[in-house]
Amino acid sequence: MKTLPFIYNQPKEFLASLQPKQWADFLLSEMNPLFSFTATKARVIGIKREGSDSRTLVLKMNRNWRGFRAGQHVPVTIEIAGRRVTRFYSLSSAPGEKFPTITVKKQAGGLVSHFVNERIQVGDILEVGAAQGEFVLPSQLPKKILMIAGGSGITPIHSLIKDLSQRDFKGQLKLLYFSRFRDDIIFYDSLAKLEAENTWLEIKHVLTDIKSEKFDFGFLSAEMLNEFVPDLAERLVYLCGPAPLQTSAKKLLGDKEVISELFLLPNQTNTPSTSIALKEVVLLQSHRTILLKGEKSILDELEDNGIFAPSGCKMGICHTCVCKKVSGSVINLMNQKVSGEGEENIQICVSRAQEKLELDL
Amino acid sequence: MKTLSRNLSKQEIEAFGQELDQIRTEVMAKVGKEDADHIKKIYRVYRYTEILGRGLIHFSFDPITFSLGTGLLAISKILNNMEIGHNVLHGQYDWMNDARFNSRTFEWDIVSDAKQWKFYHNYMHHTFTNVVGKDHDYGYNFTRLTEEQKWKPIYLTQLFSNLFLMFNFQWGVGGHGPKVEYLEKPKKQRTKRSYKDYRAVWFKKIELQLVKDYLFFPLLAGLNFPKVVLGNLIANMIRNVWTYAVIFCGHFTENAETFTPEEIKNETKAEWYLRQLKGSSNLSGGNLFYIMTGHLSHQIEHHMYPDIPAKRYQEIAPRLQKLCVKYGQHYNVASFPKQFASVWKRIFAYSMPDKFALKIMESRNTKARQRVKFQVAETIRVEEKELISV
Repeated sequence: MKTLPFIYNQPKEFLASLQPKQWADFLLSEMNPLFSFTATKARVIGIKREGSDSRTLVLKMNRNWRGFRAGQHVPVTIEIAGRRVTRFYSLSSAPGEKFPTITVKKQAGGLVSHFVNERIQVGDILEVGAAQGEFVLPSQLPKKILMIAGGSGITPIHSLIKDLSQRDFKGQLKLLYFSRFRDDIIFYDSLAKLEAENTWLEIKHVLTDIKSEKFDFGFLSAEMLNEFVPDLAERLVYLCGPAPLQTSAKKLLGDKEVISELFLLPNQTNTPSTSIALKEVVLLQSHRTILLKGEKSILDELEDNGIFAPSGCKMGICHTCVCKKVSGSVINLMNQKVSGEGEENIQICVSRAQEKLELDL
Repeated sequence: MKTLSRNLSKQEIEAFGQELDQIRTEVMAKVGKEDADHIKKIYRVYRYTEILGRGLIHFSFDPITFSLGTGLLAISKILNNMEIGHNVLHGQYDWMNDARFNSRTFEWDIVSDAKQWKFYHNYMHHTFTNVVGKDHDYGYNFTRLTEEQKWKPIYLTQLFSNLFLMFNFQWGVGGHGPKVEYLEKPKKQRTKRSYKDYRAVWFKKIELQLVKDYLFFPLLAGLNFPKVVLGNLIANMIRNVWTYAVIFCGHFTENAETFTPEEIKNETKAEWYLRQLKGSSNLSGGNLFYIMTGHLSHQIEHHMYPDIPAKRYQEIAPRLQKLCVKYGQHYNVASFPKQFASVWKRIFAYSMPDKFALKIMESRNTKARQRVKFQVAETIRVEEKELISV
């Protein structure tokens, strides 16, 4: 077929070029904003206040939703001032419930968490990705479990406990939950109800900032751990919370196996690096050369320069920002590894420029 | 002979540039939901007009529904190319992070590969605007519009060749892609080896467009096959004529100036701004007209700020006009018929050798500007002499 080589050689690409998916998505979303051919979307059908600065959104998913395992998280995309922004949130409900929920706590300076807490209304549409993550229960349920949570780290743990309660858990579970002050406790009522209904569950709330009657006070310590779980060695440990808690917990637990999850942008976790010289970055598609400091991720520094490459989670999970690096080496912010010089695909949201780069952007 | 714009000193040009940068920061700070809503609205109109247009052509049995369908399809194609395509490919909506409006993922309904177009338009044309020899959009290589292009007998036919191009404009736009990319890309940056490889990219797009318009949709219509072919052909042609008219009014009107590569050596950003002002011309009209031209009615604003969402040009225009008055610069704006007539006048004039051309046209190139500079200096000297003698 010499006359029509495109159709002959790449029939799939040709069909895709006719944009059937875009057409289907357009027509479906015109009928109902929740409908979509490709995207998983959710309508907010209920909003619950949790503690002083958190909110639970009850979501009605569309047909593309494939469900989740307790403890997993989803990418949530929200349009803020015309711009689509993605963040990962743990599902706080159990998989058995009809409507999944996410619970979002306001973070200092957090764009999306503030938007969710202040602007989202019942009826709004969110875009949600597939559930993912390894913060889940093993297929063979262990006899004894210890869960340590801090602040908004309770969300996947709430999901896990609810799931266990629905699955008629026979073992024993202890939860150590750190909050800043009494009103800061998320899911206080729900956890109390679960504790009352299930004999295998024991919950201990600890406050860290403001003392309150009937509540323990202080940060995680060896004594606290010994007193609460003398049988620590026999327990499987789940850990979810802010970085300082995780660091101290992991130190106390030593080389014990811990299932943990930490959501932080790579720029927050790592000590900021200072660079001596500006790095030249050549953008081959846009025919521009710009100078980057090489201190933050390439994506962030490009955005500071007014160049908006496609991006998603900004934490190296979703691979939306993957772009071809033609030459030059970068440093991965997640593990501080230095890449090779040659051509390869990199995630620009977690890569820092180390020298002159050529990117296919 | 005089140019319409005052000659500015170095300091004046830099001050002019700073004021333009100021406008840019102020407008960019406002970009947000309003712009996102605008482009989404246009996107809906584009999709609906295409469904309606194609639907009407498919099921048309009388000339009225057929012409209505063809007209709607033409509108859809114009919106896709102009207000959506051209602006999206400039990266005006990249900040939305939406694949439908991202310059890296967008592909348009025209026989021109978006990536190739971005190279020769966003980079070559917008950087070297009206620089003869560097700006490949200048006359599309076969129209003579200034004395810097040497006259050849073939130019005598340019009235007719432009008439032909007008109806087949998309082929001119597309055909430029592989050629310019091959000629202008430094060898190191080339992703493909030979001209043939670059041409293959374009051929792929041609195949897609031709099969879609003249095979796929006609086959869907069954017995109505010939009518659908005709409808698509006419819709494409209406789009071609319209885009040709709008785009030629952007830089080839009577008073749009041209430049030489020597002149732009070591050019500063402020001087670049000034060159964009001198080399572009605007069209006056209403909101609907602006949208149908993809806001190329605001060619001057577009050339100064190619990556600001296009609807914002409407609010930039009055501020820029004030600036032009302040600095004594000519702000080239007139109605569409007037500007288009002057384009044809220019095409006609320069189809003849300079001797005749300059009888019809005032030249607006580098040499003419330098002559004026010289003349201005001279008159001042004469005045001084007179003062002394008194």
